[in-house]
Formats: sequence, structure tokens, C-alpha cells
Amino acid sequence: MKIVVAVKQVAALDDDFEIRADGLDVDEDFLMYDLNEWDDYSLEEAMKIKEAAAEGAVEVIAVSVGPERVDESLRKCLAKGADRAIRVWDDAMEGSDAVTIGRILAGVVKKEAPAMVFAGVQSSDQANAATGMAIAASLDWPHAAVVAELDYQPGAATARIKRELEGGMLQAVEIDCPAVLTLQLGINKPRYASLRGIKQAAAKPIEHWSLGDLGLDATQVGTTAALSRVRRMEIPVKGRAQMIEGTIAEQAAKLIEIIKEYKGEAA
Amino acid sequence: MSDTTLVTRILFQDFSSWSITLFYLLGYTAIGIFAHGVYTQVRKYRRGRPLDIGAWRQRAVTMVQDMLTHRTLVRRDRKAGRAHALIFFGFALLFIGTATITLEYDILQPLFGWRFWHSEFYLWFSLVLDIAGAGLIAGVLYMMYRRQWLKLPKLDYARPDRSPQDPDYDRSAYRREDWAFLWALILIGITGFVLEATRLVWLSGQPTVWDLRFWSPVGAVMAHAMQWFGLSPEGAGLFRSGLWWFHGLLALTFIALIPYSKIKHIVTAPTSLMLRDPLAGRRLPKVPEEQASAGYQYITDFKWKELLHLDACTKCGRCHEACPANAVGAPLSPRDVILSLREFANQSLNAVTLPEKAELDVHGKAPGQVFMETLWSCRTCLACVEICPVAVEHVPIIVQMRRKLVEDGNMEPLLEKTLQTIHKTGNSFGESKRKRAAWTKELPFTIKDARKEAVDMLWFVGDYASFDPRNQKVTRAFARLMHQAGVDFGLLFEGEMNAGNDVRRVGEEGLYEYLATANITSIRDCEFKSVVTTDPHSYNTIRNEYPDFGGEFEIQHYTTVVRELLLQGRLRLSKTLGYRVTFHDPCHLGRYNKGFDAPRDILQMLGCELVEMGRNRDNSFCCGAGGGRIWIPDAPGTEKPSQNRMHEAGAIEGLQVFVVSCPKDLTMFEDALKTSGYEGKFVVRELIELIEECVEYDESPALSVEV
Ligand code: SF4
Ligand code: SF4
Repeated sequence: MKIVVAVKQVAALDDDFEIRADGLDVDEDFLMYDLNEWDDYSLEEAMKIKEAAAEGAVEVIAVSVGPERVDESLRKCLAKGADRAIRVWDDAMEGSDAVTIGRILAGVVKKEAPAMVFAGVQSSDQANAATGMAIAASLDWPHAAVVAELDYQPGAATARIKRELEGGMLQAVEIDCPAVLTLQLGINKPRYASLRGIKQAAAKPIEHWSLGDLGLDATQVGTTAALSRVRRMEIPVKGRAQMIEGTIAEQAAKLIEIIKEYKGEAA
Repeated sequence: MSDTTLVTRILFQDFSSWSITLFYLLGYTAIGIFAHGVYTQVRKYRRGRPLDIGAWRQRAVTMVQDMLTHRTLVRRDRKAGRAHALIFFGFALLFIGTATITLEYDILQPLFGWRFWHSEFYLWFSLVLDIAGAGLIAGVLYMMYRRQWLKLPKLDYARPDRSPQDPDYDRSAYRREDWAFLWALILIGITGFVLEATRLVWLSGQPTVWDLRFWSPVGAVMAHAMQWFGLSPEGAGLFRSGLWWFHGLLALTFIALIPYSKIKHIVTAPTSLMLRDPLAGRRLPKVPEEQASAGYQYITDFKWKELLHLDACTKCGRCHEACPANAVGAPLSPRDVILSLREFANQSLNAVTLPEKAELDVHGKAPGQVFMETLWSCRTCLACVEICPVAVEHVPIIVQMRRKLVEDGNMEPLLEKTLQTIHKTGNSFGESKRKRAAWTKELPFTIKDARKEAVDMLWFVGDYASFDPRNQKVTRAFARLMHQAGVDFGLLFEGEMNAGNDVRRVGEEGLYEYLATANITSIRDCEFKSVVTTDPHSYNTIRNEYPDFGGEFEIQHYTTVVRELLLQGRLRLSKTLGYRVTFHDPCHLGRYNKGFDAPRDILQMLGCELVEMGRNRDNSFCCGAGGGRIWIPDAPGTEKPSQNRMHEAGAIEGLQVFVVSCPKDLTMFEDALKTSGYEGKFVVRELIELIEECVEYDESPALSVEV
């Protein structure tokens, strides 16, 4: 039985950073990459299921879409105990959005035919919170988002989960398997990947898959297929608060003036 | 008295042949039991990991010196050390004496007919052994007095790492053993003398015995006393044979029990001293490339030498007393870690076959296992290793066990976060690499980039000195000193990473390897004569541990550099201070690397009046930051080692400045000054700040180091 864990290598910003010359992203020089925080939890959840089952009964596969640097994050997954790691990349995939990434990952899921697919609720850099659900949509599988508790026996036909709702509510759900779940922070305590572990995981192979392996073609991925495209990235000019002084009437008049100015009406 | 060979002691005089045979039978039995014990113990040690020792001759010489001078035993407990010397030399002489008799009676005489144990030799022999016996008894008496009446905290076996409900809390068996040991020794000694005296009374009619009685002065005096009480020669003869058996059996039992009891230390302690690693704790062991798991999980992961160290501990409590963790009530005593592991090893490794793997696991809550909290309480200050009279090396063992905890992620979440941060950013502050040298921006001059041009001195700044705002002021002050002295120096800028000293002591060996190799590569690429640092932690690892990773660099702590600059007149003082100060030896400069004198010399040059705290130099009391503890919050409501230290300093009449020479110390003690209520009474200063106050600057006057 397999569990596929979709992971992402996210970027964190340096204190002072610059936007790339084309204005579409932050200059790579100012980025530090690491495994998405949510993915630590979803991988841990898969590992817990694996470790509770008989030896060899559950195979945990970490999958990610991205260029070569992503191997480093996959190695961390291997160090934490994933059995296999797959990195999918093709230059044509550049510019993919959450929906196309979901399509690519769904391609891997179809090939591997796992009993469960886990993803993080969202990524800390893009925060779309969409990729996991996009996988489910591509597969047309049952899905549940923002899972805070999971009760699942390997091979069972259903899983019991609790979803986190607004206002601290939990919603108990029973879901048919195989399913796609996006897991919330705090669902478990992720283990520490010691540096030696990461180094030793370097000996484990990372499988590199490309478009052809997934039965997709270039038109289904990347910028061309993406439903959204980045047009520009900017650092918002920080506005300054201003105290409006005077009597109540004066303050009101000033306020009206400002509103009109924003709406572009003549004062 | 023409035949001087008659001047001797006739062995087994008037014994029937069956009783001699019986005695020999008992003797061989005792030796058999002893040999079996030795065999089991050696088998136990051999179940540890192999280790190449080497340099046996030099080791043996040092060990013999240690034993003859008793130098490790008199430290911080002169009286106990001297009493031990009496017992040791008394016992050794008596042992040699008995061996000499055996040599003649059982070997040389039956085989070759040689005899030498008579005449003058015999008389001197008697005298020496009498003195030895008296010394032995005197020594044991003092030890008994010490145990019974001095109530020394270090001899209290109460365990900080267990609560009274725990099955292995009770250490009364040790106490009984201690007393049994002392009583056995003193009884053997006393009965020996009584035997000697009764023999004299018994044979008082024989001039070869009686006329020479004062060659055994103690025995002779006792013999006179016995006669005065009316003991007849016949009565003495009768009494003697009974006592003889008692003495003999006691001695044989003693021999038989050596490998099974505390007596064992007469063998394990010298061996342990011989196995001493002078760099223990200063240079932690590398993990062999091919070894799958980093640290110690099973008792069989220990090196044989370490298993032997466990058996050398005599529970003297010196480490227990010196340990800062124990002093503030943390669940750690280095003594108890050693004793727990020893009990564990004896439980699991003494059997003919090794038990299941699971039963060899030294981590956990069962009897003999070491608690995680215990291991994490250690500040790797090395106070224990440094004072142990029998060369037990606690810190490498503790760190090896922590390596296992780290591998399993059994650590404080905050520590885990810090380790991840260090991996990601190369520093424990989580600052971007680019910012490492941001502190230089406020200087009126630029500092060379050692990666781009050759320098005389490469300054390895370290994390705290680079990023901590309070320490940055000191760091800039040191830069101004170097600049003023015209030292040609440079930095690695963002090429520098956390040196790894504390990461290694936490037990994150993989991260340490990563940091060390990265730094070594950066340093190697520069052209320089020597390295300097203000950070004792970086100093230690670069000096002692980088060589294991191919980084052999000459490195100095700033205190030696500045002392040199002052002596050469390259730094001139425009005034002296006259403060009443005390100096806190940082563990990594003092105890770790014996840098005791340079800071004191500088304080003297600055005209400060140095008043030492009780715990100074090699007995300095850790600030509590070592071993990664700076990244682990102390339990609320407990005293911190740094506060404990502040109280010690606070007791000094009229103290003005508490001087430190380590960035972490500055942080720890400035905090402790406030929390322990000494704010306004005295201040904490880095030595550099005092130097800066006095140095004469040519150009831009020193930017004031307000604090
Ligand atoms: S190194 Fe220091 S803190 Fe650790 S056990 Fe030894 S004395 Fe205690
Ligand atoms: S380990 Fe050393 S210092 Fe500590 S109690 Fe044992 S013999 Fe004494």
C-alpha cells in the first residue's frame, strides 16, 4: 500500500531583497529555500501510519515538482524516512500555477496508484492553498481540506477525519479512500531530520520524472496551460497614518475631502 | 645467636599438616574466585567497541607518576588525598611484603633452595611493614571519621536525577559497601598487629624473636601490653591460632572479592588513569563515516575504555560537587550518570551470553537507564572531567548519548528550531549571512576582507560577537584596539559560519561536520599567519577539533594577543583604573584550554585590584550557557548557574566590576546581574571594555562604549 505525499520547496525572503529585473518575482539571490513547513506535518503523518503498520506494508513516496534544487528538500524527506522520492520537472513546466501543478502531481498519483494522497494545506511562500485540491479535481477523487486529525488504517475503505473550520470548530467527516487530504499544522509533531540523516539519504536515489513519464504534453503544463499568470510583483509603498485634527465638523469635512480625492472626484 | 637465618618468622609454625593443606585449599579457592571475577570483567569490557590506545609506555609513566604523587587525589580535598596516600602506600607495601614471602616460601625455596627472608633483611622488612600497617590503619581511621562525622555533601549519595519512588534511587547498598570496605581494611590491619603481638608473647622465650621485638615496634608495644594484662605464652599460642585463621580468612575473602566490589578500583583506577585522554571533552570523538547511527544507544556502543572508566569511579563525589547543573538542582549529577551506567553494564554485560538488543538500551526510565532530562541538563563545562581523580571522562559519554537523542529528535522544540536555523542560515540568530559583518558599518575605518587580500591576523568573530547587539559594541571595541595597535587583520565576512563548538556539544554531529568543513574551506582559502577570536567557544573548536577535519590553524584568544600588544608597547595605556574587580574564567578559555593567566595579567596592567572568587581558574563555575544550553530555556522557578555565580561575586566586599572575557558570558551575566538583584551594586564588563577605557588612541577618540 502506498501513500503519496506531495511536497514543495518554498522560498523564504532575506531581510532586504530586490525584485527581479523583469518584475515578475524576487531576485533568486535573496531567496533561501527550504521544505514547506506544512509538508513536515503531512510527511510525518504518513510516516506514523507506516511505522504503526507491519514492516514493509506501507510505502511512503514523497513527490515534488520543480528544478534540481528541489532534490535537497526531497533528500530531507528521505532522511525522515520516506521510502522513495520523485521529482518531476521539464522546462515546459516553468510558470505552472496551482492548477497545472495539481495536474502534474495527479499524473504521478495515477502511475503510483496510492491508497492516500497527502499535501500541506498551503505553501508558506505562495499561500494559494489550492494545489492539494487541484490534485483531487484532476483525479476526481474524494477530498478534504484543512485536516486537523486523522484516523486511518492502511488499506481501510474509509478514513475518519476532523477538519478545522473557522472559529475553532472541528467538523468530523468520514471519507472514502483513496482520497486526497490537505493536512494542517499541528496535526502531529514532525520529527527532526538530523544532518547525518540527510547526508546518508544522499545515497538513496531520487527518481526524476519528466512530461513523457506522466503521459502529459507541453500544452497541458507551464505558462500556456496555467489559468493564472503573474503579471507583476511589487513591494507596496507603505502608507503613513495621519491624525485628522480639529473639531468634529472639521474632521468630517477633511475626511470627505480625502475620500473624494481617492475616488478621483474633484474636490 | 650465631645462625642469623634463625632470625625470621617461621611460617605455619606448629600448624598440623592438614590445616596447612586446608589453608592452601582456601587460598586456591580465593584465587579461583578472583580469577573468575577478572575474567567476567574483562569479558564485559571486551563487549564494548574496540579502540586503539597506543603510546602505552608514556601512559604507564604518567599513571605511575599520578599514583606516586597522588596529585589527582589531593586536589580540592587535601586531607582525604593524604589519608588515601597512607592507605595506598600502606596497602601496597603490605602487599609487596606478602608477595615477597610467597616468592621465597612457595617458589624460590622449594625450587632452588634459596632463602633470603631472614637476618637483617627480615628485620628491616618487619620494621617497614609495621610502619606500613600503622599508616594503613591511620588512613582508614580518618576515612571512617570523614564518612561518619564530616557529613560532606559530596559523600551524600542522594540522587538529583531520580526521585525516592524510583527503584534505583536507593544507594544504601553503596554505603554499606563503603563501610564494609573500610572495616575489612582496618580489621585486616588490626588483626595483623594483634597476631604479631601474640606471636611475640607466645615466643617470648626465644631470644631470636623476643630480643629483636622492637623491629616490629607496634607489635612489641602491644605484646608488652598483653603481658601486662597477664597473657601467658601458652594462652597467647592458643589465641594466636584462632586469630590466625580469622586474619587469614579475612585476607583471602578480600582478595576473592576484588573484582566484585569497590576494591576493584585498586586495579581499575590506575588503568583508567592510564587510558586518560588529555583532550577528553575538548575534542569530541568523530563519528566514523561507515557507522550508521551517530551516538550511543546501547551499552555495547560504548568503547571498552569507557566501560572501564565506569568501573574506576570511587564515588568520591568531586564531580558531583563541581557540577553546575547539580548545584542548581537540575536532574544531573555526573557521578550518578557514571554509576547508573556502571550498574547497567553490570546488569547486562556480565552474563555469559549477551541479552536481547532491547535490554541493552541505555536510554529510558528503567533502573540504570539515563533520563533524557539528565543528558540535556549538562552544560559540557568539563568541571567533572577536570577534577575526577581517576580520569573518568563524563562529557564524551554524555555527548555520545545526546547524539542518539538528537538523531531521534528527542530534544527541546526550541533547540530543534535553533539547529534548523543554524543549518539554514549558518548562524544561531537566524540572521541572513549577509548581515554577519553589519557591526563593522559603524566603525570609522574599514576592515580588510581576508578572502580578498592577505592579512597577518584572521579574526574569526563568532555568532554572539557578530549578531548580539550588546556584544557588537565589544566587538567594535576590539576592532578599534587592533586598529590602534596597527595589527594587519581581516574578517571572513559572510564566509564565516557558526564555528560549531556548541552544536557539536549538543550532539548534532552532522551539522557540526557541515559547519566545520565549511569554515575550514573558507579559512583555508585566505592568506594569513594566525587566527584570533574573542569567542572562547570558537577558539576551542578551531584549536582542538578542526584539526580532525583537516583544519590546522594557529589560533589565539584575544587575551593573549592583547597582552602581547601591551607588553610590546603597541598599545599604550593613558591611565589605570584602580577598580576592585573579580574575574570569571570562561569554561572554554580556562578549564578547556588553560588560558588562565593572560586575562589576569591584563587586569594587573590596567591597575585593577583582582579579588578572586572562591571558585576560580580550573574550578571556575560555568555560566550555564555551554553545551547548547544557551538555546534551551531553564525551567522557570529554578536558580540559574549564572545567578548562583552572581551570589558568589556579590559576596566580595566592595566589588565594582565583574569581568568576563567571553561573549556568551556577557549576555548570561548581565542578565543574571539583574535577576539576582545586584544591579547598581556592581557591573558586568567584558575585559575589552576595561582595556578600551585605558588605551591611548591616536586618531578618532574611542567611541564611547555606553552600556
Ligand atoms: S560537564 Fe559540567 S554540567 Fe556537564 S556533567 Fe560535567 S560538571 Fe556537570
Ligand atoms: S566520576 Fe570521578 S570524580 Fe566523580 S565520583 Fe567518580 S571518581 Fe569521583
